[in-house]
Amino acid sequence: MRSPHGNAPRGYSEAGLMENSFAGGGPVETQARIVSMNIEQGGVHTTLLYAPEIALRAVPMQFVQVKVAPLNDPFLRRPFGLSRISPEEGIIGITWATVGRGTSLMGLWREGDTVSVLGPLGNGLRTDRVLRTNPGPHGRRPVWLVAGGTGLAPLYPLALSLGPHCRDITVLYGARTAEALMDTSLFETVGCKVTVATEDGSAGVKGRVTGPLGHLLASFNGPLSSNPPLAVACGPTPMLRAVKAMLRDTPVELYVSLEERMACGTGLCKGCAVKAAPPRSGYFHVCSDGPVFPAGEVLLGGEGQGA
Amino acid sequence: MIDLSTELAGIRLRNPLVAASGVFGYGEEYARLGDIRWFGAVSVKGTTLKPREGNPPPRVCETPSGMLNSIGLENPGAEVAAREKIPWLRQFGVPIIVNVSGNTYEEFSELGTIFSDVEGISALEVNVSCPNVSSGGMAFGMDARSCYRAALSVRKTWKGPLIVKLTPNSPDIVAIARAAVEGGADILSLVNTLIGMAIDIKTRRPVLGNVTGGLSGPAIKPVAIRCVYQVAQAVQVPIIGMGGVSSYRDVLEFLMAGATAVGIGAGLLVDPLLPKRILADLEDYCQEEGIVNLSTLTGCAWKG
Repeated sequence: MRSPHGNAPRGYSEAGLMENSFAGGGPVETQARIVSMNIEQGGVHTTLLYAPEIALRAVPMQFVQVKVAPLNDPFLRRPFGLSRISPEEGIIGITWATVGRGTSLMGLWREGDTVSVLGPLGNGLRTDRVLRTNPGPHGRRPVWLVAGGTGLAPLYPLALSLGPHCRDITVLYGARTAEALMDTSLFETVGCKVTVATEDGSAGVKGRVTGPLGHLLASFNGPLSSNPPLAVACGPTPMLRAVKAMLRDTPVELYVSLEERMACGTGLCKGCAVKAAPPRSGYFHVCSDGPVFPAGEVLLGGEGQGA
Repeated sequence: MIDLSTELAGIRLRNPLVAASGVFGYGEEYARLGDIRWFGAVSVKGTTLKPREGNPPPRVCETPSGMLNSIGLENPGAEVAAREKIPWLRQFGVPIIVNVSGNTYEEFSELGTIFSDVEGISALEVNVSCPNVSSGGMAFGMDARSCYRAALSVRKTWKGPLIVKLTPNSPDIVAIARAAVEGGADILSLVNTLIGMAIDIKTRRPVLGNVTGGLSGPAIKPVAIRCVYQVAQAVQVPIIGMGGVSSYRDVLEFLMAGATAVGIGAGLLVDPLLPKRILADLEDYCQEEGIVNLSTLTGCAWKG
């Protein structure tokens, strides 16, 4: 069995839905000016950065590596999915919650400051190709965006670029409580149908996001196989695992956006390893082979280890 | 005209910066981020006889002014390296150092044989200092006798310049360095990573999948400078000094401690353009200080 390391050509790259940063001229390092810092619903921050070269190159679901402070501590850059990509304005956005030292320091950022940003990095989803593949008898294929927590943010540029071409985008979004829910109105503005689930039932459907996903799947019973939806999931690993399990024996084509402890983000260190699913052996790397993977290509967490 | 060039056992380097093994792969990733020609020489990923898939994740963890890694020598194996990776890397015209890691002395000899047949390799670097593999690796570098035998095993089959890369984890690095030279090393690389670990206070478990890992980054620079300073005075062979380089000042410090060339490791993970910035800063420094040949600084901290 061919191991994924060693830059072996891989089937899903040839399928052409994914595109890495190098197609658009490669990642760049730039001193990006902070255009705005907003605290939003759900306690997250959205920081808009003026980084025209990155905004021009980026495709949805790619990420950037940000040096949150100069000098050597914190040492490593921090990876963030792009929550805004606006080539016209030269602006990219990152949406983040305060979780550790790096993000605590980011709370000290002020408008007008500059920070070093490296990107765009990783494989994104080429939306034009997403729409071109498998157009069913009813026209464009439906798209399901499944998100948990701050995983909603990087799906916005995807929804925005699909919006004008795709009349059928469903967003299924789960969080612990109503307070933790991010604002979904941007998705509604571009025509997505949004269903929200909270674990405590304080907003939307009570329970996890797999609840509404099950309903959606059931409602698609008939036309599903003739025009199989494309699903993209972004969120905590247990959520991705549950979504993958639910869609496993259906015609729905699922992509997952993964996170792993990352050092360089550029493929140099081989740090962000994720186990390849059989029949492949070995590991993929989230930064250079992902962060988006066809769900069937990777083992998520304890998946496939008898757990 | 400022001369940044240097020489390592007959290998001419356009500048003293060496891409350290383990942050450069075989150059393919870096070629998309920067210019391989910014380096005076490049050392490829630690290469083993058979392919290795590496250690279970998490493999990296940030620490104060540094990071832990336990990649576990993920590499495609000597055959693929020899047939595909090295020939590709030759196009840049930068001296290639192939870092090799064996489980046994016999494997080290075999690696020497395999790479003897490959064109365009300037030196082999014997890795007796990887802390992240269960057999071989650092075990050879902790003891003078086994370091001598590992060096000698490659020396028997590889006739070109031989580098031995030393660990800072041994109690007497000078003794190990002398043994490496006795075993046939023409050049010494120091240091590899320091063994460390981190615990996640939420899960109450070690962060790294492999429990322990190698510490690198600016946090280890003082240890590395001390090692170079001691070893350079004890042996006659040139030294590639490394450990926590993140600016031209660090490069100068290694040169002054006694290094002839200086490796860039973890710093490249943070800033892929680091070699370019350092070269520009070194030129400015030489200009300001009236230095014509940068290499004249080597060992000035103890030569007086």
